[in-house]
Amino acid sequence: MSSSEQMATDLQQVLQQGRHRMTPGLSGPQWLSPVRARGAAAVATMSLPDRKQEAWRYSSLGFLDRVSYQPLVEGPFDAILPGDVEDLLLQDSDAVRLVFVNGYLATALTPAVRCCDGATVTNLTAEMGEVPEAVRTQLDAIAEHRHVFAALNSALMSDGALIHVARGVSSAPPIEILHISVGLDEPGIAHPRHLIVLEEGARAEVIERYCAMGDGSYFNNALIEVALGAGSELVHERVQEESPNAQHLSDLHVRLEAGSRYRLVQATLGGAWSRTDVRVTFEGEGAQAELDGLMLARDQQLNDVHLSVHHKVPHCTSHETFKGILDGKGRVVFDGHIVVARDAQKTDAVLANDNLMLSREAEVDAKPQLEIYADDVKCSHGTTVGELDANMLFYLRSRGISEVQAKQMLCQGFAEEILQKIDHPALRARASGLLAARLMESV
Amino acid sequence: MMLSIKNLKAEVEGKEILKGLNLEVGAGEVHAIMGPNGSGKSTLAHVLAGREGYEVTSGEATMDGQDLIGLEPEERAALGVFLAFQYPVELPGVNNTHFLKEALNAQRKARGEPELDSVAFLKLIREKLALVSMKPELLKRPVNAGFSGGEKKRNEILQMALLEPRLAILDETDSGLDIDALKTVSDGVNALRSPERSIILVTHYQRLLDYIQPDFVHVLAGGRIVRSGDKTLAKELEEKGYGWLTGQDEAA
Repeated sequence: MSSSEQMATDLQQVLQQGRHRMTPGLSGPQWLSPVRARGAAAVATMSLPDRKQEAWRYSSLGFLDRVSYQPLVEGPFDAILPGDVEDLLLQDSDAVRLVFVNGYLATALTPAVRCCDGATVTNLTAEMGEVPEAVRTQLDAIAEHRHVFAALNSALMSDGALIHVARGVSSAPPIEILHISVGLDEPGIAHPRHLIVLEEGARAEVIERYCAMGDGSYFNNALIEVALGAGSELVHERVQEESPNAQHLSDLHVRLEAGSRYRLVQATLGGAWSRTDVRVTFEGEGAQAELDGLMLARDQQLNDVHLSVHHKVPHCTSHETFKGILDGKGRVVFDGHIVVARDAQKTDAVLANDNLMLSREAEVDAKPQLEIYADDVKCSHGTTVGELDANMLFYLRSRGISEVQAKQMLCQGFAEEILQKIDHPALRARASGLLAARLMESV
Repeated sequence: MMLSIKNLKAEVEGKEILKGLNLEVGAGEVHAIMGPNGSGKSTLAHVLAGREGYEVTSGEATMDGQDLIGLEPEERAALGVFLAFQYPVELPGVNNTHFLKEALNAQRKARGEPELDSVAFLKLIREKLALVSMKPELLKRPVNAGFSGGEKKRNEILQMALLEPRLAILDETDSGLDIDALKTVSDGVNALRSPERSIILVTHYQRLLDYIQPDFVHVLAGGRIVRSGDKTLAKELEEKGYGWLTGQDEAA
């Protein structure tokens, strides 16, 4: 039996279990049932993506034939204490924190979450209560099941963060979602699910992190939905530092109402196979999205970012800058697709993708695409692929800096344009430090 | 001799540029190397600093008796060789303070000296900034990125002041500077003159030498030094141009 068949079988079992509430992880509250059912129905009609599909042409799922993932069930992870994960925590961070282990809320690691009045930070799959039903109904209303993994997540979602900021409330401090994967004897698949809802005029900063204890093999199939009410503003900072043997898929869906602002900055540094699908939809005029990302693909790593930005209405702005650093036989896939609808006049869209190759064996597959149906827009895209600049290297070395250190400094400099957009000092320091450490092993 | 260059031949992309160059520079001396465009002035500067692609085919260059040619650029820097670039390179994303500190500490480490911590370094760099009248905010920016021509040259002299080389080679440091900037940069260089530090000024124009008085002036033409003298030679060149010397070279 191939792994895809195995996977389907496993999933069927899990679904059955879920329906009968036999698996603790799927025994969530009643209100989730329709979402799970819809996801399960979609799974039944979909197959695994293959490379004949354009969106999956360059990101092979071959690993599914080599590894059979067991569904991860909840805990017990009570044995994991704060001291065990200390090196994964942000230093001197003021953020309130929700910690998940293998998809499930780790209560021992999550200090009592106390945000400010008007902001709720809780476990998505908790029973109904403090979060209004209107917020709950956003779940699965923003995402599209564009591939079976999204549907799987809806069917099998584990725990996740639910962040709700009420109308006009500016949520301070930052809110951190920390997902920790603990390698088990058998490779496992987890389906973290997060929902972020900002009401009209609300503001928040959300940090989303994926870390690992050890270098186990596992598959994180995360799905994140973001709904931004009119005039609201979200700073969304994501750092993926999965185990070198992990697969990580993030399916991120963002819906912007009029005048809202979304700023995404992410650094995808870890994993053997990493893919982020970002789908942004402008539903109201005058909204802005800025998406920035750093992709590290060291030897044998694949780092894929697919952007899909839909300008459905006029006067919206989307600026995307994604940078890749590749070494060894590393691979970067960048697919940036911007659609400007016929009515979306005065759209301002800029898409840039720059790649730095440290090795001749590395590969970049970049596909920036602008699909424009309006006639009064300002849109541009550009892709570059280059090596380290010999003049820059010589300049540094002529000052006494070793060749290895000079290369690291230039790589770090290349990444800096993205990293400096991380507002949160502790997160920026961590991403920067991780990059430096990983480049140290590379160059 | 501090720097001793004997019958140095070097080529760039297979083309011989230096064709048997001899030069002796004593400790504490300031030598100006002048010459027409394409005579090999910048090539000499880059060969001494160890730039890749500038291949020495024969001859030697030693500093205090130690061979330079076989060394990596960073090893030469640690020995005390410093090249102020004609076109200082912009390093996007590399913070200037970080760069200066890493450079200084790399050299100190290579020489077996203790590295400076951030506090000690900041104290030191503030002193040096004053020497070149550089705006402190330029320390917070990426190296040379978006700097004006004058700011870039000041940043070069700042590096020289910080790294305290024993041999400083200034490649056309006067190019692209207005008179005020030229004066500031020259004042900085003059402040760094010392009995232990030798300076080679590579320049096309006599103008720089009004501000930094050389002990010796050499004319480089066709890859060789064709005439050496004291600072009066520079005056003579200003009056007569290079033609009478390069003509002599061709005749020889």
